[in-house]
Amino acid sequence: MMTASLNEYVIISALLFMIGFFGVLLRRNTLVVFMSLELMLIASTLALVAFSRFNSTMDGNIFVFFILTVAAAEVAVGLAIIVALYRRRRTVQLDELNSLKH
Amino acid sequence: MTPVTLALVVLLAPLVSAALIALFLRRRGGLASAVSLAAALAVAVAGLALALGGDAYRFTASAVWLQLGTFSLSLGIKFDDLAALMLSVVGIVGVCVHVFSLGYMREDAAKARYFGGLSIFMFSMLGIVFADNLFMMFIFWELVGFSSWLLINHWHERAAPAAASKKAFIANRVGDFGFLLGIVMCYWANGTVNLDELAAGNNVYSTLIPLLLFCGAVGKSAQLPLQVWLPDAMEGPTPVSALIHAATMVAAGIYMLCRINVLMVPDALTVIMWTGVATALYAALCAIVQSDIKKVLAYSTLSQLGYMVAAFGLGSLEVAHGDHSHLVATGVGAAMFHLTTHAFFKALMFLGSGSVIHGCHHEQDIFKMGGLAKKMPVTFVTFTLGVAAIIGFPLLAGFFSKDAILYLAFAKNQVVFALLALTAVLTALYMVRLWKLTFLGTPRSDAAAHAHEGGLSLTAPLIVLAVLTVLGGYTGLYPNVFSGVFALIPIAHGADHTIVLLTSVGVMTLGAVVALALYAPAASDSLRQKSPGLFGALTALQFSFDHGYDYYVAKVQQRFALFLNFLEQIFLAGLIVRGLAGIVGLVGLGTRALHVGRVNVYVYWFLAGVVILWIYASEIF
Repeated sequence: MMTASLNEYVIISALLFMIGFFGVLLRRNTLVVFMSLELMLIASTLALVAFSRFNSTMDGNIFVFFILTVAAAEVAVGLAIIVALYRRRRTVQLDELNSLKH
Repeated sequence: MTPVTLALVVLLAPLVSAALIALFLRRRGGLASAVSLAAALAVAVAGLALALGGDAYRFTASAVWLQLGTFSLSLGIKFDDLAALMLSVVGIVGVCVHVFSLGYMREDAAKARYFGGLSIFMFSMLGIVFADNLFMMFIFWELVGFSSWLLINHWHERAAPAAASKKAFIANRVGDFGFLLGIVMCYWANGTVNLDELAAGNNVYSTLIPLLLFCGAVGKSAQLPLQVWLPDAMEGPTPVSALIHAATMVAAGIYMLCRINVLMVPDALTVIMWTGVATALYAALCAIVQSDIKKVLAYSTLSQLGYMVAAFGLGSLEVAHGDHSHLVATGVGAAMFHLTTHAFFKALMFLGSGSVIHGCHHEQDIFKMGGLAKKMPVTFVTFTLGVAAIIGFPLLAGFFSKDAILYLAFAKNQVVFALLALTAVLTALYMVRLWKLTFLGTPRSDAAAHAHEGGLSLTAPLIVLAVLTVLGGYTGLYPNVFSGVFALIPIAHGADHTIVLLTSVGVMTLGAVVALALYAPAASDSLRQKSPGLFGALTALQFSFDHGYDYYVAKVQQRFALFLNFLEQIFLAGLIVRGLAGIVGLVGLGTRALHVGRVNVYVYWFLAGVVILWIYASEIF
């Protein structure tokens, strides 16, 4: 059975992070941008878990627990804001959320 | 009452009166004048009680007013024979002028303001008389300047008094600035400005300190070159001219000099002497061509003030190594003696001119008067006594005091003696001219034809002052309480006495005879007709200082100010102030471009920030 090496985990993690990053840069829908943000978080947790596994320490795992906890709270607040935004503005397109400038 | 209480009553009565008038009586002219007169009477009665009390009433007292670290500023009273004499003069002339004002200003709309001004002036002047240190004297020095401004400006709805009051104030500021510098320098050099401590000796003697202090006297006593304000100040009400611009305030400069005589050095005294001589001669020349009765008297005041300053400067010309204090004091005696007699006869003549102006319905041109001797007999007799006194008619006040000065000049400096004698000729000339044109001949205008004597309030002060003018020169008649000053009056003996006496009587007769012969009681100036060149030259001399200052202010000072303004606009306002604002504005312009209003774009800025942070952290630069 072929076992994955640390390199493959880190590459996958980097790919996920890039997807998330370009999602934030390029997408116009707030919900998708939000999901992309989460994707970047998950990418970093994947790398941390991999480091923890290959170094035989618990440091990375402890980080992951904290990140997951904070991310859960963040998602709850972020989604609530997006829902409230949609109720008020009837849109979640970023291009139309520019009332501070225009 | 103790002497200190009495002195405080003298000092504070006019202040209380001024405060009452300013706060409660502004619309009650009659009541205001009564309050002010009561204060003046209180000053005269309590002041004379103090002055005549003798040695028991001579004291110094002071209280700390401000304490700043080791520097303390005290307000105090130094009451010696000099202050007693000055206080008597201010008290007596003050009451006379207040009484005269009752009649003269009866119809005035702003009577309350006028009497309030008189009261605040009395307070300020008494502060100068009592001051025991130079700082306190400076405070009251400024206050008399303010009162003078207020009273010259009494008819402020007319342009001329408003301009004259400003001119007086500004000219005085110039002198006062020197005075202040002198005080500061005196404190810096000697560590004290208290008059008693200075009198104790151990001073640093420099020529600069007395000369800077003298600047104050140049401004206040209207000496060359700051004399320009005094003739213009005649725009004020005539009683004010009598009180402030003849008898008391302008004499404050002489009084101040006598106070600081312990700081004098020979070089400074020489400067002071020549300033006085130049003023005396210049003013006498100008007085000859005046046609306004008050202007003649104003220039005459200038001339007599020059006499006093010269007398002060003469007093110690030979002090280089010898008996310092004694010789200086000789000048003090002569100057203060002339100040006293001059206060009486000049106040008399100013009030007399006020009576004439009042009688002629505010006509001031002597060429439109004439023949007033019969219509205004009291004014005529008293004014005649005043004229006789100022020209040095024997046995009247001015005769003795002027002789004292002439003798001093004769003993010390023959050139000064000659110039002062020439001034005396001119004095006799212009005073007799004024007297003849005003009172003799026939009336030359309707106003003069219908002239009439004023009421008792106008004539009574004239009579009081006339008595003092007759008796004021006999030092033996004064109570023996001013001996600290009068003992210093120089008295001629032997051949000197004869020469001075003959000169004095000779120059007086010469001037008077020339005036009587030259001036016809006509509607135009006889000198102008007979010698237009001389008349024109004297008029040009009169205006030379004004023109000089006009040129300086308009052409030199104003252009310098424009130049400075230009520099200020370019460098201060342009580069520094607006330059800073410009940089901030540019930064704002740049950063505003980052604010585009699209969330995605901000991610790029975030990215850029991370990159910069990374570059900074990895120490690439």
